[in-house]
Amino acid sequence: MEATEIHQAFIEILEGVVLPSSAQLDQIKKSLTPNSELACVIYPRTQTELNQAIALASKHQIPILTSDSDLNWGGLVDFPTMGIGVNSSHLNQLIDHAVGDLTVTCEAGIKFKDLQNILAKSGQFLAIDPAYAETATIGEIVNTANTNSFRQRYGGIRDMLLGISFVRADGELVKAGGRVVKNVAGYDLMKLMTGAYGTLGIISQVTFRLYPLPQSDRTVIITGKADAINVARAKILTSTLTPWSMDIISQGILIKLGINAEIGLIIRFGGLNQGVDEQISRLAAIAQALNLEIKALTGNKTWQDMQNLFWQSDPAIICKIGTLPNLAVTNLLKISSKTPSVALQIHASSGLGILKYESSNISIADIQQIRNLLVSTGGFLTVLEAPINFKQQFDIWGYAGNATGIMSALKQKFDPQNILNPHRFI
Amino acid sequence: MLTIPKPQTINWQPIIKEFEAILGKNNVVRTREDLVAYECDGLTSYKQQPALVVLPRSTQEVSQVLKVCDRYSIPFVARGAGTGLSGGALPIANCVLIVTALMKQILEVDLENQRVIVQPGVINNWVTQAVSGAGFYYAPDPSSQIICSIGGNIAENSGGVHCLKYGVTTNHVLGLKVVLPNGEIIDVGGKIPEMPGYDLTGLFVGSEGTLGITTEITLKILKTPEAVHVLLADFESVDAAASTVSDIISAGIIPAGMEMMDNMSINAVEDTIASGCYPRDAVVILLIELDGLEVDVEECSRQVEAIARNNGARDITTAIAPEHRLKLWKGRKAAFAAMGKLSPDYYVQDGVIPRTKLPLVLAEIEELGNKYGYKVANVFHAGDGNLHPLILYDNSQKGALEQVELLGGEILKLCVRVGGSISGEHGIGADKKCYMPEMFTDADLETMQWVREVFDQKNLANPGKVLPSPRTCGEGAKPSHHQLLEIPRF
Ligand SMILES: Cc1cc2nc3c(=O)[nH]c(=O)nc-3n(C[C@H](O)[C@H](O)[C@H](O)COP(=O)(O)OP(=O)(O)OC[C@H]3O[C@@H](n4cnc5c(N)ncnc54)[C@H](O)[C@@H]3O)c2cc1C
Repeated sequence: MEATEIHQAFIEILEGVVLPSSAQLDQIKKSLTPNSELACVIYPRTQTELNQAIALASKHQIPILTSDSDLNWGGLVDFPTMGIGVNSSHLNQLIDHAVGDLTVTCEAGIKFKDLQNILAKSGQFLAIDPAYAETATIGEIVNTANTNSFRQRYGGIRDMLLGISFVRADGELVKAGGRVVKNVAGYDLMKLMTGAYGTLGIISQVTFRLYPLPQSDRTVIITGKADAINVARAKILTSTLTPWSMDIISQGILIKLGINAEIGLIIRFGGLNQGVDEQISRLAAIAQALNLEIKALTGNKTWQDMQNLFWQSDPAIICKIGTLPNLAVTNLLKISSKTPSVALQIHASSGLGILKYESSNISIADIQQIRNLLVSTGGFLTVLEAPINFKQQFDIWGYAGNATGIMSALKQKFDPQNILNPHRFI
Repeated sequence: MLTIPKPQTINWQPIIKEFEAILGKNNVVRTREDLVAYECDGLTSYKQQPALVVLPRSTQEVSQVLKVCDRYSIPFVARGAGTGLSGGALPIANCVLIVTALMKQILEVDLENQRVIVQPGVINNWVTQAVSGAGFYYAPDPSSQIICSIGGNIAENSGGVHCLKYGVTTNHVLGLKVVLPNGEIIDVGGKIPEMPGYDLTGLFVGSEGTLGITTEITLKILKTPEAVHVLLADFESVDAAASTVSDIISAGIIPAGMEMMDNMSINAVEDTIASGCYPRDAVVILLIELDGLEVDVEECSRQVEAIARNNGARDITTAIAPEHRLKLWKGRKAAFAAMGKLSPDYYVQDGVIPRTKLPLVLAEIEELGNKYGYKVANVFHAGDGNLHPLILYDNSQKGALEQVELLGGEILKLCVRVGGSISGEHGIGADKKCYMPEMFTDADLETMQWVREVFDQKNLANPGKVLPSPRTCGEGAKPSHHQLLEIPRF
């Protein structure tokens, strides 16, 4: 179909249809291959509108790019024919905050920040600290499994998602899971959809488990010699301390935070006042015994600064990495020895992390080398953000396993016409 | 596309030969008397002999067995320890039952990374035993933990009393080796979470043996907490205990576990094990376990006690020493077995409700029990709203099981009506599949069926379980005796 025909067809079924402004277009184009063409962007406001819109796209085999904000992670979407953008940010209702049950059900287009503000009024929070916390929608966060240091205590998005509704590629609305904190009825499609980058369905509603906000929330940074940091890391993880977050951070990050050291540990404790104080004094004892410097920070500004350093600055290559936790320090040193300015933050328990280069400093071969290093020790490297030409030339996922057959078959079954974010993942 | 051949068309002789060649003669069980041990799981009211039982020892053997099944289009059912309560490991007629009892190796203990890799037949609490000396434990702890297998836990996404704070099985599984129904071997996940690609580990956990057989499982272990307190509080009303549960959570305290037992269960337990801990005249008791740092546990313990008193708790006992704690827990752990003393038979139901709905739902369950004329005892995971109504009956009375299943079904519908689920941890299996439409639309179920078809094109893996089929369920919810008509009952 021609652009004008597509535009017209959507205008007939929903009000929120726009021809993107040039700024919007610039944003969206970061997720598309250069030869993909976009007829319009639609903003469904209700579940029904979304269902109808996807059914229409399905009927005419119009490919779809889902995009709600600046977040443009994942492989470039490639439209074989004229496509549309689907923006769910107007599908943003809070459905139910069950305060006593510590759960929340909301539409997928609600902004993370707005939801968190609502929950805070009841002394609760969603234990997620995502990239693009100001602008990302809940749907995008689920699509990209986007959380950060809170993984230490709370796990990933997958561990908090209790229920999901999504629109299938044929326009049918389906759900899995439920609104209660424990539930084993049926397959766990919440996990399948988390981190699937919108390739299997368009998420329209989710239910999350919530947690109470802590009485006290304090952060410390430990710095010093790498060997000692590595010992401290292992000691803390096998101690009875229960940090909320515990990240190993590179020199590149420390320098931007105004700290002169080759490697550091940033650790956050939350909970009752006495407990947090006690944990920090025990931590100090560990640090002192190893001749490490320990510094208490005020408030959460440092975490904010770190987020900004990764996500708010100029174009870059940003990767999600995984390493075995016991190799995190070694791998971090190897990576930063080549490029001391690299920003690398690794979550100590899970071994997941974020790696950022200024794009001018690094070539595809360099990234490949780092991937090889990580993969050879059981880890991985996935490119989240990179210039379009980089993404076009590089296998951004780096999937090294033997389950491609099942993954492709799932995609084929869920989206036989390949209209949902085609080529983003499979 | 049901491709299961008619029984009379199967010539078992060459198949047995092939299995014997793969596994050795001893690991292919075929005589009727030997098969008796495998004819049911924990849902003992239904029994069905499989055609054969095979006992593989390795991933390769499982793969070869499944390739034979695939070639002859023979359905198979996986079985761990057979303690499942929803008929997940109940054989189907003319199937091969693949038992993991010989796959009991702990393959790797990686304390540095806090990961353990096990074969599926490893018993749940062996994992903790293997790492407790170094100060670690494996968190998911079903009450059956001394007998149930990790493979079964994976398939059912099992829970336990400590799941309130630490999550259920799925939150502790990082990777799996899976033999697909066609015999192909895949590795999903790993020692690191969120590996690239779809989260097939998360999808497989809880799939009840319908997507393949897992042969290696990578688990996460946790540090043993520094301090543990167990509080026992008794109440004169369900409302008071339920408000205590809500208030504790609202106060920002997440206990490791929070269990409720009603008067009938208390008395059953005291009749059998005479713990002397549970007051016989209490309407309900709450067992609350708090763990963590010493200072935190002490403070939380004080707060919990105050909350319970505020809600009218009569007596509160706090146990700190391990033997004292065990004593308080003993009755809870023995509760199901104690029911066996109260009544010739009992039927365990498993449903979930939002925990704020506890008083309402418990009152309605009692009413439903009265309506059907059966006593219902309640012992359950109050903290996460996971109910286990135990319906007491006498199976020797004609029609009793059917009535009890109907009553169980009514309870499930009630759970769904208040916003809950038809299973919190025991799974759907053969028992509850006809109740799936209470929770899910045709389109929801069709989507789940898609997943199943992707993994199992020939419909050989535990066929007929989990998802309802129009043939057996027809329209609307039916208890299992309707769909298991051809299966003898006991
Ligand atoms: C007294 C008692 C108390 C219990 N308490 C609890 C409790 O507190 N919490 C709880 O959640 N459950 C509980 N259960 C239920 C049961 O113990 C769990 O469901 C357990 O996980 C089943 O493990 P199993 O090894 O016995 O599995 P089985 O019963 O043998 O099999 C269960 C399911 O797993 C599948 N399966 C087995 N092995 C594999 C494999 N390797 N790959 C793929 N599929 C496989 C089977 O096909 C079947 O569908 C209890 C049961 C009893 C009898």
